Amino acid sequence: MTASSPAALLDPEAIRRLRELDPSGGNKLLERVVAAFGSSLERLLPDLARAREGETLDLTVVRHVSHTLKSSSASLGAMALSARCGEIETLAREGRSEGLLEQLDAMLQDIQQVRAALAALL
Amino acid sequence: MLPTGQALDDLPSRPRVLLVDDDEVNLLLTGAALRERGFEVTEAPSGSEALAQLSVRAPDVVVLDALMPELDGFETCSLLRATPGFESLPVLMLTGLDDEASINRAYQAGATDFFVKSPQWSLLDGRLRYLLRSSRTRHELERSKAKLARAQDLARMGSFEWKRDLAGSFTISAEGLRVFGRGPQDRLDFISVMRMVPSDDRHVFLRLLRDVIAHTSVLITDLPLTLPDGRQRVVHVEAEPEFNEQGGVSGYTGILQDVTDRRQAEDRIRQLAHFDALTGLPNRRQLIWRVERAIESARRGGHEVGLLLIDLDRFKVINDTLGHAAGDELLIEVGRRLRSCVRHSDQIMEGVLEGLGNRSHRGLEAVGRLGGDEFVALLPEVADERDAERVADRVLDALREPIFVGGQECFVTASVGIAIYPRDGQTMADLLRNSDVAMYAVKSQGRNASAIYSPQLAGHGKQKLELESALHKALERNEIVLHYQPKIDVRAARMVGAEALMRWQRGNVLVPPADFIPLAEETGLIVPLSEWALKEAARQAKLWSLQFGFSDSIAVNLPSRLFERTDLVEHIHQCVSAYGVPHRSIQLEITENNLMKDLQNVIPSLHRLNEVGVEISIDDFGTGYSSLAYLTTLPISEVKIDRTFVRDLGITPQSSAVVTAIIALARALGLRVIAEGVETLRQMEVLHRLGCSLMQGFLFSKALPPDELERWLALTVLPRKAPWITQADGGPEVTRGGQR
Repeated sequence: MTASSPAALLDPEAIRRLRELDPSGGNKLLERVVAAFGSSLERLLPDLARAREGETLDLTVVRHVSHTLKSSSASLGAMALSARCGEIETLAREGRSEGLLEQLDAMLQDIQQVRAALAALL
Repeated sequence: MLPTGQALDDLPSRPRVLLVDDDEVNLLLTGAALRERGFEVTEAPSGSEALAQLSVRAPDVVVLDALMPELDGFETCSLLRATPGFESLPVLMLTGLDDEASINRAYQAGATDFFVKSPQWSLLDGRLRYLLRSSRTRHELERSKAKLARAQDLARMGSFEWKRDLAGSFTISAEGLRVFGRGPQDRLDFISVMRMVPSDDRHVFLRLLRDVIAHTSVLITDLPLTLPDGRQRVVHVEAEPEFNEQGGVSGYTGILQDVTDRRQAEDRIRQLAHFDALTGLPNRRQLIWRVERAIESARRGGHEVGLLLIDLDRFKVINDTLGHAAGDELLIEVGRRLRSCVRHSDQIMEGVLEGLGNRSHRGLEAVGRLGGDEFVALLPEVADERDAERVADRVLDALREPIFVGGQECFVTASVGIAIYPRDGQTMADLLRNSDVAMYAVKSQGRNASAIYSPQLAGHGKQKLELESALHKALERNEIVLHYQPKIDVRAARMVGAEALMRWQRGNVLVPPADFIPLAEETGLIVPLSEWALKEAARQAKLWSLQFGFSDSIAVNLPSRLFERTDLVEHIHQCVSAYGVPHRSIQLEITENNLMKDLQNVIPSLHRLNEVGVEISIDDFGTGYSSLAYLTTLPISEVKIDRTFVRDLGITPQSSAVVTAIIALARALGLRVIAEGVETLRQMEVLHRLGCSLMQGFLFSKALPPDELERWLALTVLPRKAPWITQADGGPEVTRGGQR
């Protein structure tokens, strides 16, 4: 789980497909998607933070957040993030909390890197 | 714009997608991808938002994320399905790759299909188009099913299915249930259907069913049944076997149809075609069919068949006097009685005779109506002719009781002719003709009896037939003549009138009235004969008045049926006018029996005749068994004492008593009395003494041709040369009467 270069963080194939949806860029799709990802994070991350505040971790919230991020990050080509989200989702669904907090921390780091990579893309 | 090159001709140009996902990124990307591929996309970030959108504008397809906070995809899908109009809207559920539980839940919630989220948009595109197409197909199928259901409903038709190896797998479609008078929610198993079928038909059907299944053949039959509300229906059933992959029979599928109306129409047509509408008995066509089958069967079995031709006696008279409605009523009652004389079977057995066993011809036994007042009894197997005679006796017996029609009791008798196969004929036509010969023999011998055919009868019948056809021509050939017997007043020794009597000059033979009058009455020829006689009598009266001053009347005998004709008075008027003689030159004689038989119908004529001056004389008086009281009410002028009383005068005291009584009665009523059949001077003497001076008979003269009568007058009466004249002259004064 080491940090990688922005280019390596985002799957070029996925980015190509994204650009294909708006070849001329006239619809500013890429910008809107990145913005949507950002606003999504703004909604999800405070939820997640609240879920970690209590005595025990709220697995339902964890599961929902990881599930959502799993698919949206995959759509953006952030495959490493998506895979981590998938692992977290599985743990949360199965009610296993050991190592979950560490995974969540790693996920938050991944997110920061993906955000940076996306910003660099625009 | 068809960027993917998909054939979209069968789909809306821009299919509408409702896209539901709580993840903004996915919502945005998927929406963009689908728009790119020619879809019109509406995005909804939550389940509740999606449901609200549905009511605004219905999409062609819904893409639904499975996992969402609050209302998730499964709940949203269930709610959507519960909304009227969206039961079959295609819904594609988006799930994660590793989420098998979600896939199952998706189907349970009513999703049409699932799709693992993938950024490969062409996959989603292809899946959506597939869904749309199958939805379209399904929609069309549903419409076609609905149309079929409606058509089946109209045709009172339904379908059913039976799976061989599955217990309780007999199912009937909703339309089929309606055929059985049940609602779509009702359960109807095979046993319940069978319970509606009458037990006889059920046994036949179950046997057929076992047979059909054993041979893997097609089932086609009609099943009569009684519905729970008591209605009787006939259901047509057709089913064919279904085969499994191994080629074995897996069950049957088929259709049901309520064919009651058609069957009733068919039955009605068959009824009309084979049964007499009036009496409900087999008609001529059905009788012919039955007799032919009976002959076939007798040929094979070596037994005899009896055919009885039953003809009502004098039915025409009843029909003419009481009217056709009464005649019809009478025929119905006669048919009912005749039916009870045999083991009558109403069944129509077209072509099903074979295979019913060798006693099946017994079912042919019946009474049928050939037409008019002719009935036939078919006895498909008789031991001998006495068997047939016994049935004929039963027939005559059955008619003995009077039949009440047209407000009065009618006595009907029948003449029955019997023919036996094979002795009296090999075919229906032969048997019918020969039974007809036998029947006519009965008629000519006084009716109300039966006779078995014999070849001698045939000869007799042939003679009669010739006579009948010759009689038809006799009038136009001027072969009919009138002879005249004088009526004598012995006191004055002079002729006071004459009775016209018909003779048939057939070649050199003078046919006596007894040989052709009954035939003329039977055939109706009596009417033109009588009309001719009236005219001829008028002509003769004129002739005699010119030749020797004849001013009395000529009496013509008329059968009662002529009195019933409303134009009789007019006809007589024309006859006398044509020759310029007064009405009173024609006198009419009617026998007492004839008069009594049709009294009510004859009386009006008598009055009208009396008014114009035509006198009425009662012939054969004293032979009717009727009360004499009616005489007081009748406009008659004369009674003729029957010759049987005259014959016995001076031999038996009873006859003079009767004659005395008649004379007294006539005198009291102011009627003339004339005695017929006076053959001896002694008879004349007694009659004269008892107070009757008018006479007719061989003593004076037989009936003579007109010119001979004139000569007889000139040679015998005027010169006062006959023995009866001197005798009468010397006879006592007539002062006594009505005393012994």
